[in-house]
Amino acid sequence: MIIISPYAKALKSGKTNPKNYPYWKELIRLIDEPIVQVGIEGEEQLVDDFRKNLTLDELGKLVDQCKTWISCDSFMQHFCWDRKKYGIVLWSVSDPLIFGHPENINLLKNRNNLVENQFLWWEDTEHDANKFVNPEIVIESLNANFP
Amino acid sequence: MDKVLCSVATRGRYQTTLPLTLNAIINQTKKVDKLVIFDDNDEPQDMRKELVYSYFFQILSIKGIAWEWVYAGKKGQHYIHQMANGMGFDWVWRVDDDAIPEPNVLQNLFNYTHKNVGAVGGAILTPPLQFQNEKPTGKIELINREPNIQWSFIQKVKEVEHLHCSFLYRAGVHDYHLGLSRVAHREETLFTYGLFKKGYKILAVPNANTWHFKNPNGGIRSESNEILYGQDETVFNNLINYSDKTIVILNGGMGDHIVFKRVMPDIKNPEIFTCFPDIVPGKSIAEAHQLFGDLDTWNIYIKMYQWKWKDSLENAYRKLYL
Repeated sequence: MIIISPYAKALKSGKTNPKNYPYWKELIRLIDEPIVQVGIEGEEQLVDDFRKNLTLDELGKLVDQCKTWISCDSFMQHFCWDRKKYGIVLWSVSDPLIFGHPENINLLKNRNNLVENQFLWWEDTEHDANKFVNPEIVIESLNANFP
Repeated sequence: MDKVLCSVATRGRYQTTLPLTLNAIINQTKKVDKLVIFDDNDEPQDMRKELVYSYFFQILSIKGIAWEWVYAGKKGQHYIHQMANGMGFDWVWRVDDDAIPEPNVLQNLFNYTHKNVGAVGGAILTPPLQFQNEKPTGKIELINREPNIQWSFIQKVKEVEHLHCSFLYRAGVHDYHLGLSRVAHREETLFTYGLFKKGYKILAVPNANTWHFKNPNGGIRSESNEILYGQDETVFNNLINYSDKTIVILNGGMGDHIVFKRVMPDIKNPEIFTCFPDIVPGKSIAEAHQLFGDLDTWNIYIKMYQWKWKDSLENAYRKLYL
């Protein structure tokens, strides 16, 4: 079983968080494994098994059972890293050298896409689908690192 | 040779004591590498058009002293000093806009800038002299019971725990506490005591006399709001009460708290205030606000921005708290 955590924290402005991966539906179609989505109420459901608003204990138990996980740059990548359960992080405008963990697989399309000031609110950055890796690259990485 | 920035924060004294202060700085036997005047006036003026200032600026250029006039943000002089603190110099000599240092002050302060020294101050004297027969210790615990050691001539070098008004300090190793109000009451005491707590020597030294023309008009502390003074005094007392602990304020997201957990075991005697006590146990952020005022001093994102940070978040926490 693979966990997906598709969304970073919602922005107060209602704009799309620039860290949210735009190709989840395509990626999900390419994954040949049971998938569990985790997140919170209000987020778009992408697979049949969507577990919302889990406690940290519940999420931890689920993470311990999974083969691996895929997320954008969000709480999930830190939480799983802390449990020594490593997975794939899909980056765009935030810097994995600052906010990531080398134990995870950090897929960043191009460092030129990183915003200059990494420490402002993400409200000021527009979402741009072109700044993320394609689903095929994610699948390649998934198969290579978590066969 | 270490580079020295001289910073002067000014407000309401264009035509009174500020020219005297600038003249004294220009005529130091040791030249500063740069002079920055932080203009915190409500209605700032372009002083290049004023005769006396025009001469000052020309003399600075003739003497090869870089200078800059910065219009400040009216948030209080602690913000100004923090800006100077981060300008990339080795030492900052802060001079009040009603303080008139004798010509040898900077040289004599600079003579004591050894490796383990954090700040050096001389006498700050206001006629008529009142405290010449006192023997103050310069310890923080006695701050409300003894005159400041700088208020009388200093006969020999003495290690103290805090300084006030004008002094020379090692730049970029400790931050001003930005939690104080715009009055910034006790800002320099907290700053120098912070250097002391980090293990640096704080020295009061002889033969570095500054005459303090306490001017009831204008001044960077001209804010008269007693409530703000009271708030600052409370924040000051709380910080001193917590001075044997490392205050940790976690006001970021859940992920930030998780990363911080790796640093936590290495922090000496931490007192933690947290947004997510189920991840990092501690007291509430609301309590931290009440105790210490504005919490930007501990905001890891502001710190990383100020440090132009390129390393990991975990190492940023290490820099902030270890």
